[in-house]
Amino acid sequence: MADTYKVTVNGQHHLTVDPSQPTTLLEVMEEAGLEPHYHCRDGFCGACRVQLVKGEVSYITDPLAFIRPGDCLACCCTPISDIEIQQ
Amino acid sequence: MRYSTFNKNPVNPLHEPMFFGNSVNVARYDQQKHAIFEKLIEKQISFFWRPEEVDVSRDRVDFQGLTESEKHIFISNLKYQTLLDSVQGRSPNIAFLPIVSIPELETWVETWSFFETIHSRSYTHILRNLFTDPSDVFEDIVINTEIQKRASDISKYYDDLIFYTQLWQTQGEGEWEVRGKKYTVNQRELKKRLFLCVNSVNALEAIRFYVSFACTFAFAERDLMEGNSKIIRLIARDENLHLVSTQQIINLWQYGKDDPEMQEIAEELREDARDIFMSAVAQEKEWAHYLFRNGSMIGLNEEILCQYVEYIANMRMEAIGFDAPFEQRSNPLPWMNKYLVSDNVQVAPQEAEITSYLVGQIDSEVSAEDLGDFEL
Ligand code: FES
Ligand SMILES: [Fe+2]
Ligand SMILES: [Fe+2]
Repeated sequence: MADTYKVTVNGQHHLTVDPSQPTTLLEVMEEAGLEPHYHCRDGFCGACRVQLVKGEVSYITDPLAFIRPGDCLACCCTPISDIEIQQ
Repeated sequence: MRYSTFNKNPVNPLHEPMFFGNSVNVARYDQQKHAIFEKLIEKQISFFWRPEEVDVSRDRVDFQGLTESEKHIFISNLKYQTLLDSVQGRSPNIAFLPIVSIPELETWVETWSFFETIHSRSYTHILRNLFTDPSDVFEDIVINTEIQKRASDISKYYDDLIFYTQLWQTQGEGEWEVRGKKYTVNQRELKKRLFLCVNSVNALEAIRFYVSFACTFAFAERDLMEGNSKIIRLIARDENLHLVSTQQIINLWQYGKDDPEMQEIAEELREDARDIFMSAVAQEKEWAHYLFRNGSMIGLNEEILCQYVEYIANMRMEAIGFDAPFEQRSNPLPWMNKYLVSDNVQVAPQEAEITSYLVGQIDSEVSAEDLGDFEL
């Protein structure tokens, strides 16, 4: 397991995630001041959907919203590799 | 095909499509074709709440202090929501239950509709507290032209599907004349009507509530009408779940994970589905215009509300495979989000008592000492 994973947002913001911390992708984006979209923060509304351009995430909460291929739900997933997302 | 409440043919629901397959016989959930609907049922039931648990008594005083234009905004929104939930409390049952063919979806539809009836009952709870006799408000819903315009668009796709289903159930496939009008009934036509109906319900729950939600939460931001706002938060949480269910259905069709003919129809009627959404957006903007015709309220005006409708519409349309049609990419009402967060994650102490269903917990915490003076 890498020490940290890199998260690239819209090709311009570069964030780091510590996989030993139970933080969601949404929280990582918020901490970086990015104002990501969200409503429920619990995987059932789909408002936090972002495009996962590269890399992999794993779900901490079982999502109820449909995840279209190439998307992920930021409020309930965490990166498990370096990732690139678009929002 | 005549509907039977208990289909006596052995069918394997794991091989049935969501709709228009063999009708459901045994209500079993140990195995699921689409497990998502069982998960939605569980989630929805975990959200159970009763309007009477929310104390709305302070709202009456707040209401007296509102300006006339604010009263118009508040009451008009309640009327519109009452209409939406009147439709939603019955229509999924009447339209979808006769044609659904897997048990987990059948039960989801019933669970969903049941929660809409809780929403309807909550409007009575709110209005009874504000008015000694709320009849005028309820009676206006069927005669108010602004509400009527919306009512016909909301109900027409349901009504059409229901009518075609009834023809199919009683006459079967074929060309039928009813009161001088010809109807062609076959599987394809039925499925097209189903597709349009599900898209219209999706648009309804995706955006139609959000103009009134925004007004409610704008009052709450000023510490006004907070009982009402607590109820609307619970409703908004349920609505998100309902929305996700129709998004699931539409996506399962589009990705060919259910009935292959529905995948074809989803392609064929893609533009019609987009039009349904776009006209719902236009109507919501008109509604915002109507609300603010006598003046706006602090924190909100027509323009910003329309931007919010566009922001939400972008999000909702992308969820079912459309490109975002509007420029509005950032949230023009950032404070809305705090009212839309599910309470499982963020619980403000004063709200804890209303949002979780505590009856079971209370019962199990009664100890022998509590009953000390109690004699049989
Ligand atoms: S915020 Fe609702 S699914 Fe992520
Ligand atoms: Fe509702
Ligand atoms: Fe609903």
